Amino acid sequence: MVVLPTPVVAIIPLFCALVGVVVSSIPLSLSDGRIPPPLFALMCIYFWSLVRPDLVPPGVVFVIGLAEDLLSGGPPGLWTASFIITYILLDRQREVFASLAGWAAILGFAVAMLIASVSAYGIGWLWYLRQPPIEPLALQLAVSILFYVPVGSFLNWLNRRMVGPMRSDF
Amino acid sequence: MANGTWRIARGRSNAQLPLAIVVVLAVLLLLAAKAHLLPFDRARAAVTDWAQPTLQRMNAPVVAVADWLSGIRHFFDVYSENERLRRENAALRQWQGAATMLEARAKQYQRLLNSVADPAVTSVAARVIGHSSRPFSETMILNAGAKDHVKPGETVADARGVLGRIYLAGVHTSWVILLTDLNSSIPVSIEPSNDQAILAGDNTEAPVLEAVAQGAKLKEGQEVVTSGNGGLMPPGLPIGQLVKDGQTYRVALFADPGNADDVRIMDFHEEQMPALKPNDLPAIAAGFKPSPPPPESAVATSAPPPGAPVLTPPPGAPVLTPPQRGVGVAKPDAALKPAGQLPASNGLVTRPAAANGSSPVGVAQLPPSPAGGHATSDSDHRTGTHSPGGLVKNREHTVRSPIEIERAREKAAMAREGIAARISPSSAAPKGLDKKRRTRRANSGLFDDDMPPPPPPQYDEQDR
Repeated sequence: MVVLPTPVVAIIPLFCALVGVVVSSIPLSLSDGRIPPPLFALMCIYFWSLVRPDLVPPGVVFVIGLAEDLLSGGPPGLWTASFIITYILLDRQREVFASLAGWAAILGFAVAMLIASVSAYGIGWLWYLRQPPIEPLALQLAVSILFYVPVGSFLNWLNRRMVGPMRSDF
Repeated sequence: MANGTWRIARGRSNAQLPLAIVVVLAVLLLLAAKAHLLPFDRARAAVTDWAQPTLQRMNAPVVAVADWLSGIRHFFDVYSENERLRRENAALRQWQGAATMLEARAKQYQRLLNSVADPAVTSVAARVIGHSSRPFSETMILNAGAKDHVKPGETVADARGVLGRIYLAGVHTSWVILLTDLNSSIPVSIEPSNDQAILAGDNTEAPVLEAVAQGAKLKEGQEVVTSGNGGLMPPGLPIGQLVKDGQTYRVALFADPGNADDVRIMDFHEEQMPALKPNDLPAIAAGFKPSPPPPESAVATSAPPPGAPVLTPPPGAPVLTPPQRGVGVAKPDAALKPAGQLPASNGLVTRPAAANGSSPVGVAQLPPSPAGGHATSDSDHRTGTHSPGGLVKNREHTVRSPIEIERAREKAAMAREGIAARISPSSAAPKGLDKKRRTRRANSGLFDDDMPPPPPPQYDEQDR
């Protein structure tokens, strides 16, 4: 394991999430823009808030959501609010989610993604004062769950190599 | 690990306070953004400008791969493709000639009809450097921005049809809100019936047609074009074709944002005519000195311009002075357009008076009315004002009862007859008048059959 200074370790989750926001906001698509990009930022929030919750305080979630709103082109504040709602629910049910492993962990992320999508859909409905189409959100949900398999593995590797467990876990 | 994590999370008793603050902040952010209090768009434009070189570099290999794949597909039919393109080029050249000729002819007709000028459209070519398809936004990013004079609101189209509008213009890049976006809503016209509607995006591939005019009979396959209403887009740009979707109609777009590479950003603005100077009026240009503008009440009885034939009204003639009736006084009014100036602009449709039966300034060609103005038909009174420059302006409608109209017609006819009688010395009374009309004519006091004819018009040498 690479031993990094504590400040560097502390910003790794935020940095990963911001990179995820930028990557998903790169306006390049192999599907000619027909399939929305996955929500990499939520993958980071889900993973790090379960593995190292001390590195993902609510303020960090707010910043990540703000970045997602800024770069995605949607209504400002939509993803910020959705991420915070998801974070609150994860926080309340942390014991359940953190005990999941393997495919169950992916299922756990699917639930988190569903919460975020439903929240975004509701906020979008209120924002536009009409029912937004459900198909793009459903596509994004499916793509994000699919992408969580490699991304989750990468984050797990990053955690083992650079971040490490919390002191309380010893 | 799981239990430890949970224990630490629960152990942070003061962690609830930041969470509450963040929730409040998120709600405030939503409200402020809804009220447009935050410079979110400027921040987005700045970020895109900053990332533009990276985006172009990342886009290059994607485009290269796509071109390479396309090249492989077309490698085996290069010869036939070349032949096809030659034929198509020849046909297009013929169409180009025909289009040029028809355009010139249309402009000529527009000049003849004095119609309002077509809006001026200028365009900037740009390249798509990115697509962004999100659940709540369908956008494209172009590599042209404010430095290329791109402004928000301008129309973006490719060779097939309209793609959307610019909604954010950075220095080097601009964001396009596509027609399929939830926020997109544009006025359209359905051809050939010219029915008006609103095309609203809903993040699906085919935007929905809303607010269709009542009684409009739509059919699948009808073409949808921009209507130009509201000055939002140039009129007549192709958008797509109608497709029935249950009880509503959707529009299958001609342009596909997914494979649009090179686009045009069209700047659309109404053509502004330069302000008219007093010297531009034909009467002044011809050497007539303008008299000072008469007071409103004296318009109908003001003196004719120098050089105009002096026609004395008969004594006791009724004064027909509707405010629209013009008198041959050249008034240097910047709001008036000279008769020959084309095209009209600013929504004011001007017509030369010659086309309406009136005469130009200072030249009495038609029999003048008893009040000194030119004789005009009732339709002239109803449709507009005959200005001194021989133009129709201020299209105000004068509502008159049928009795009034009939009386005015009779008086005008009688006045014409009387003046004709005075101009012609031999005609003491027009022939062919029946007894009833003769009696009415005598009782009207308008005509004096014993009155000598007026002297011939006097002209100065300079006027000649």
